[in-house]
Amino acid sequence: MASDSSPGNPNDGPSSPGENVSSPIENTYSSPAALHRRRRGRSSTPTQFATPPPPPSRLASSNSTPPTSRPSAARSNGRNGRGGGGGGGGGDPGTPLSTDEPLPSSDDGEDDGADDTTPTFVWGTNISVQDVKSAIEMFVKHFREARENSEDLFREGKYMVSIRKVIEIEGEWIDVDAFDVFDYDPDLYNKMVRYPLEVLAIFDIVLMDIVSTINRLFEKHVQVRIFNLRTSTSMRNLNPSDIEKMISLKGMIIRSSSIIPEIREAVFRCLVCGYFSDPIIVDRGKISEPPTCLKQECMAKNSMTLVHNRCRFADKQIVRLQETPDEIPEGGTPHTVSLLLHDKLVDNGKPGDRIEVTGIYRAMTVRVGPAHRTVKSVFKTYIDCLHIKKASKLRMSAEDPMDVDNSLRRVDEDVELDEEKLRKFQELSKQPDIYERLSRSLAPNIWELDDVKKGLLCQLFGGNALNLASGANFRGDINILLVGDPGTSKSQLLQYIHKLSPRGIYTSGRGSSAVGLTAYVAKDPETGETVLESGALVLSDRGICCIDEFDKMSDSARSMLHEVMEQQTVSIAKAGIIASLNARTSVLACANPSGSRYNPRLSVIENIHLPPTLLSRFDLIYLILDKPDEQTDRRLAKHIVALHFENAESAQEEAIDITTLTTYVSYARKNIHPKLSDEAAEELTRGYVEMRKAGKFAGSSKKVITATPRQIESLIRLSEALARMRFSEWVEKHDVDEAFRLLRVAMQQSATDHATGTIDMDLINTGVSASERMRRDTFVSSIRDIALEKMQIGGSSMRLSELLEELKKHGGNINTEIHLHDVRKAVATLSSEGFLVVEGDRIKRV
Amino acid sequence: MGGPAYDCLTNPLGAVRFSFVNALSSGYDPASSVGKDWGVVDLFRHYFSDESAISQVPVLDSSSIKWVQPKTLVRFRGMIQDMLGNEFYAGAYKDDTTWRTNKYSDVAQFPEGSSTEMKVWERRLLYCVPVPGQNQWTECSSQELKNRFLDLTGQNREKRVRVDEEMTDSIDSNALEAGLNGSPFKKMKVGEATSSASESQVPQSSGIPPATSTESLPCLVKMYDSPESDLKLNDVVEFLGVLTFDPIVMMDTDSLDENSDDLSEAESVQMPSAKVPRLHCLIHRKLETQHFLRGSSLLPEPKSPQIFKEIRESLMKYLTGLLGNDHIASQFLLLHLLSKVHGRVDNVAVGKLSLNLIHLNKESMSIFGTQLSDALKSLLPFTQSIPLTIEYLNTASLGPKKDYRINRLMPGVLQIADGTHLILDETELQPGTLNSVGVENANLLKNLLECQKVEYDFQYYKMEMATDVQMLIFSEGKSNIMPADLVLPFQPSQVNSLEVITPETAEAWRCYLATCKSLPHSIGQELQQVVENDLVAARQTDRSLGSQDLSRLLTMARMMSVSYGETTLSLEHWQMVLELERLRKERLK
Repeated sequence: MASDSSPGNPNDGPSSPGENVSSPIENTYSSPAALHRRRRGRSSTPTQFATPPPPPSRLASSNSTPPTSRPSAARSNGRNGRGGGGGGGGGDPGTPLSTDEPLPSSDDGEDDGADDTTPTFVWGTNISVQDVKSAIEMFVKHFREARENSEDLFREGKYMVSIRKVIEIEGEWIDVDAFDVFDYDPDLYNKMVRYPLEVLAIFDIVLMDIVSTINRLFEKHVQVRIFNLRTSTSMRNLNPSDIEKMISLKGMIIRSSSIIPEIREAVFRCLVCGYFSDPIIVDRGKISEPPTCLKQECMAKNSMTLVHNRCRFADKQIVRLQETPDEIPEGGTPHTVSLLLHDKLVDNGKPGDRIEVTGIYRAMTVRVGPAHRTVKSVFKTYIDCLHIKKASKLRMSAEDPMDVDNSLRRVDEDVELDEEKLRKFQELSKQPDIYERLSRSLAPNIWELDDVKKGLLCQLFGGNALNLASGANFRGDINILLVGDPGTSKSQLLQYIHKLSPRGIYTSGRGSSAVGLTAYVAKDPETGETVLESGALVLSDRGICCIDEFDKMSDSARSMLHEVMEQQTVSIAKAGIIASLNARTSVLACANPSGSRYNPRLSVIENIHLPPTLLSRFDLIYLILDKPDEQTDRRLAKHIVALHFENAESAQEEAIDITTLTTYVSYARKNIHPKLSDEAAEELTRGYVEMRKAGKFAGSSKKVITATPRQIESLIRLSEALARMRFSEWVEKHDVDEAFRLLRVAMQQSATDHATGTIDMDLINTGVSASERMRRDTFVSSIRDIALEKMQIGGSSMRLSELLEELKKHGGNINTEIHLHDVRKAVATLSSEGFLVVEGDRIKRV
Repeated sequence: MGGPAYDCLTNPLGAVRFSFVNALSSGYDPASSVGKDWGVVDLFRHYFSDESAISQVPVLDSSSIKWVQPKTLVRFRGMIQDMLGNEFYAGAYKDDTTWRTNKYSDVAQFPEGSSTEMKVWERRLLYCVPVPGQNQWTECSSQELKNRFLDLTGQNREKRVRVDEEMTDSIDSNALEAGLNGSPFKKMKVGEATSSASESQVPQSSGIPPATSTESLPCLVKMYDSPESDLKLNDVVEFLGVLTFDPIVMMDTDSLDENSDDLSEAESVQMPSAKVPRLHCLIHRKLETQHFLRGSSLLPEPKSPQIFKEIRESLMKYLTGLLGNDHIASQFLLLHLLSKVHGRVDNVAVGKLSLNLIHLNKESMSIFGTQLSDALKSLLPFTQSIPLTIEYLNTASLGPKKDYRINRLMPGVLQIADGTHLILDETELQPGTLNSVGVENANLLKNLLECQKVEYDFQYYKMEMATDVQMLIFSEGKSNIMPADLVLPFQPSQVNSLEVITPETAEAWRCYLATCKSLPHSIGQELQQVVENDLVAARQTDRSLGSQDLSRLLTMARMMSVSYGETTLSLEHWQMVLELERLRKERLK
């Protein structure tokens, strides 16, 4: 924005009549650029706004701008009205515009008759003011966005449209995307960034020109606000060479001052005769009270008093911006920088907001004392804000992905991924073992539990949410329940996910009540109004709500979860408030088995001991049982030894670091929306039917978790998540297979005995289930019976198929089908006992 | 002009200006250099290349501040407590036709608009404090330096008048002004009296000197030309640079107008230079324990396992005595004292070994605890102890917190330098209610114990800072608030009277500990296999062993072998560790 040291000050005359005319400073002050600050929102000064549209000859007037001798003093006055502005700034690059006219005294605005022919240059550079002006004019009038195609050729340019709009709504500024400027005229962009004070001043003049050609009666002063610079500076890297340059940086507001009314023009009244002085403009942060009444007839001494309500003030606010945590290097503390906000920008952000600021970096000298003319050698730096953009990027991108209405996503909310990172991600996603690698990188310090981690990974990636036109919603969030013995690092996993997820909430079941989880209605003690307070689930909307000690939660609290987990809303009907709040959250809960330790004698369901209604809402239920496995133990031992004796970092080079992981996940959630391929769909159907069958195992319906339509939804979600990990737009067959596997593994189904619904610990340990063993035992004994019956020691041999026939005939005590391989196994057992000899497929009794 | 050697010590700014003039003549262009070093650092680095030269420079502390002169070279040893960001200053300006520089000085004023050409350079501001918990033996006595220094400066004053006349500019008048303002001179006599008095009270020769009671003197260090990654928060650093007083800032405090108040960085307001001296750093180095030792050198490691063994034995004897002849406890204590975080993977800090001695009650604590903590004070450079009482937990501010009102990081008890030893005394803990502060503090401690990280509260977010603290916990039962790596029931058999240690022995022990801590460590291929097998076997027999337990065994093995001055793990030491662990398990039963 601007400095007063602008190229043209044709407005001088009207705005600073009378006694002001003689002072060069005041003249500069009222130059168009300086108007910025004045024109914003203030219309109390008729002289100011009565400014006629600039005459065609205004360009010439720019020949006569501020005195070269005190460039910075003039500038800082104009900009901030701050005292002590100048002196030290003398060495700054690219200060105000100057003319090729050597005489500083000729800067009176009324001079503009001067010659039109001499080109005007930006002071200290070879940038011609006319060139810049025409370039800006071209840009404003002719810029069209690339997507507007040729048929729109006769439509107005993007910014002409917005100018008209501004005139219509009587707005005061036009936002100009710096990318557009760059696209249209890279040279102009560079000039603008390097000499923002001057170029923006010209920009404003151009805008005013255009505005007045459209509507000659338009009174407000429209100004330009640049945003979206091509490069964003890090606060840490600000250095003296950035002074007076246009920069853009991100940060978090940590403190904002109250709004300071800054005096712009003062009006004095004589106490003796009642004469009102003309507005006196701030000069270097000071307003000098006229020592005597200015009325010729009065001339009373020390009679002038300030008339507050006729003075003109502008809003000013000082805000401190601090680096966002991710920019702070290890072992450093965050840097801060001051922002100076004016007028409309005031109160645009509050502490805690993350913003991106575009502005001009300035350094200001500080006077030793108000009465001294010496300044300190240390500068105060601040950013004069042009534009503020709020960003809300917490942890993983919270602007979610899985929501259906993402077509409405605003551009500026996108995760900005630079090309290189994107390429890296693409590369990563193409790796054949990406799934394994991702799961390895998840909580690498927690050992084993690989399948659990895979499930959690699916939860992080999530499936696609679907809103059908009919109004049916299908959630994309995956809910996971971990059930396991104490000390199997469930809580650590939970903590880890909590840290990783966007907007995660971590609660412990015991401390949570139903209302604490959902929402409750409270009465404001002061006003007696009822207000809704959000609970953990609502707060973790679009995040992951981690609930520890799920089993210790009261039943009523748990029942509140039913709605949340399927409908993803929280409905409240209490105290006259009927509301439905969004709670699109994934639930990650963990619980101990009933009786604290897993009891192998009880069935899985009995062990988990949660109502089946709730259980079916979990996509994955993991039974975490500690199985002794030498292989993992060895791996653990190796890992720990490596940790201690090698470079700690090299011990896990395989893993992806956590920041990459989170950005990878956010990117995938946002941009990848996989669809089911036909093949995968077929596989899903087939698998589901099979699962239903398994559930219908005779007499076992109560003991195992049967497949419900919910399962097929879970499977779809899981396979979508798996496809997402590969950045694949299609869900392939192997994704579905993996989803089935996860589901099975989670429930330890391989080890579940369908007959009794219990998990066979022996099966986990040895690979054979107890009932299987029993069946085998009966087998063996019946074969033994047959052999005793039919064969003599050393007698003729018998074919296995014959034996099978015999067994089937015998059949009574074996209720299931008998296969040849069963027979073979039983025979092998008998032969090891020395009861039979096997020769090929014949047996002989010995 | 005197020789450069003399210049560097007492008239460093002269040397700076001299070299600037030299650099200018050889083509240094201040206009384009952005203040890059023109050889000053090399000049000083060369001059102070050896320890003896450095020891000539007075150390700035609360006693020496009374007599050291502004504009002279001083040393400051401290911990970086806060980083105040960058400061832009008028680095070079043209006085008529010649360039002058303001680097390494606080000359602060210009007549407004008088300088025709001026370059803005930047420097970093670090707020340093004396290392928390620093023990007395680490302090360099500067008594003799003081006398010599006063002589030197006296000479210098005369000389400067004679020789350095061409150099005198506003700086000298500033110095004079500062002198007249009185701080260095007037206080000098007072300082002399008090410092000599306090020194006579301190029995230097006794083995266990009393705790230090120096009022802490913070220092605002201004860094030039140093890459940002070089220095980190909580680093213990020795800065060598020019001490300045900033008279302007003092004037400033009473003339703050509204405007400057809002934009000002506020540090000058909170840190009047009378309380916080400014140091313009020329060279700096990070301090390790050995820098505090008198001999300033470590034991030569590979050649002399015998020496290690001898010192280890004597130290063990001392520790066993302290612990009432509990041999196992003293073994573990030694391993604990040698622990140090030497790697981090995610949340796992490899190499930490916190020790929890249980079965201690208030009475035994008063005997053994005090003895032990006194002994540790004489052995380690930085020690601190925290009494774990409900009241303390509820009121203390353990974690550092950013105060945005004044834009400063408010130190907490747990903002400590790496390598600090921390004693937590839980025997005092009574049943009671923790308020929210107490819960937060307990969490901080737990987090420190488990991950060796402290959360710094930046109000809008928290930031974890890695630390390396040895934690020793005394409690009656196993401490559940502070889950230490090692829990050991303490079984003293008798109370021994304190041994008197000669300063030489103490020095040798300190040296031994410092050396052992710094030793590298590795493992042979074969033994690696053995260790792996042992770990697998252990886990097969006891399923409750987690990765932490296995990790702890390896840490102990490392400490054990290092304590014998060896850099590779031997089977013997590995078995010693397994045996120790077995004994510990037995005691726990």
